[in-house]
Amino acid sequence: MGLLTNILLAPFLGPVWGAKWSLDKVDRVVKEELTDDTPIKEDLMALQMKLEMGEIDDAEYVREEAEIMRRLRDVRDWREKLGMSIGGGPVRVAGSDDSE
Amino acid sequence: MTAESASAASESAPAEGKYVYCIIRNDRSREFGEIVIGSASRVYTVNHNDLAAVVSDTPIVIYDPTRENVLAHEFVNETVMREFTLIPMSFGTVFRSEKDVTTLLKSTYQAFTDVLDKMQDKIEFGLKILWDRDKVVAAIERENDEIRRLKDEITRNAASSTYFARMQLGRLVEAAMEEASNRYVNDVHEQLKEVSAASRSNKVIGDRMILNAAFLVDRKAEKQFDEKVKAISLQYEDLLTFKYTGPWPPYNFVNIKLKLEKAT
Repeated sequence: MGLLTNILLAPFLGPVWGAKWSLDKVDRVVKEELTDDTPIKEDLMALQMKLEMGEIDDAEYVREEAEIMRRLRDVRDWREKLGMSIGGGPVRVAGSDDSE
Repeated sequence: MTAESASAASESAPAEGKYVYCIIRNDRSREFGEIVIGSASRVYTVNHNDLAAVVSDTPIVIYDPTRENVLAHEFVNETVMREFTLIPMSFGTVFRSEKDVTTLLKSTYQAFTDVLDKMQDKIEFGLKILWDRDKVVAAIERENDEIRRLKDEITRNAASSTYFARMQLGRLVEAAMEEASNRYVNDVHEQLKEVSAASRSNKVIGDRMILNAAFLVDRKAEKQFDEKVKAISLQYEDLLTFKYTGPWPPYNFVNIKLKLEKAT
């Protein structure tokens, strides 16, 4: 019975472990993607450049800017959900408290 | 600052926070007039000893870096800069109360003082250089015998010219373009070195840009720097486009890591 169990389960253990490992990895990659605003900020700078160079007009700029702001807010939401720090919002000197 | 583009939470929030634009050295309180767009109207200082934070009242919100908001932030700093040496704060820095701002000034007093000393009478200029690929390629073909010869050969024998020859031409042109880009950028840096105190190169934006730099310039040398940039842009006017901006506060040369945490 013992031997049979091992044999029967063996093929499962392999792929299951493999799947878990790659899910962790996917999870990490997805998290990084959801919480990294660097590419969004780069897009914003590129958009500003396009406006400066006259490649797009004001209306187009405003439209694309709104989309970029939406993406920035999404990242902010994810960072908050995952307990990470966010740029902007109320701050204070670290360690200071109200009794000071 | 306009509240419309700030987060949704802003609607009910009272204007009790302080938006900080910059830090200056001034031992008395000071008003900078009504230069903020939207609800908040006055820009004034919160003082501690000889330091002052330039602030305006704001709801406790997160400001989106829209062009409108960023321009409002910059506009205040430009106004302050006419009279003071300043340390710009990051866009969107909001404190809950005047007391929290005072705590910032107190706890960072020495670092602010040191940086203000270092930045005394210094201003920043931005210089972006873009190239026109076609023109640069044309210039390279004029100057580079090997490329010209290979291209002529390919054009003459269009039907029979090999894939290999075309590949080789492509590679040669790419290498020559990179070499040209480095040559232009080095030349510009070299020429501006004598009229600037420091420079910093930032990541280029898009595929036409070959230089995205900031220069720290002494107020006294502003005219010289200006003339030099104009002379260089004339020198390269057939090949390169110069985007020259400023004077700015020293955004790229002040790097104080403030120990700030989220205020709840």
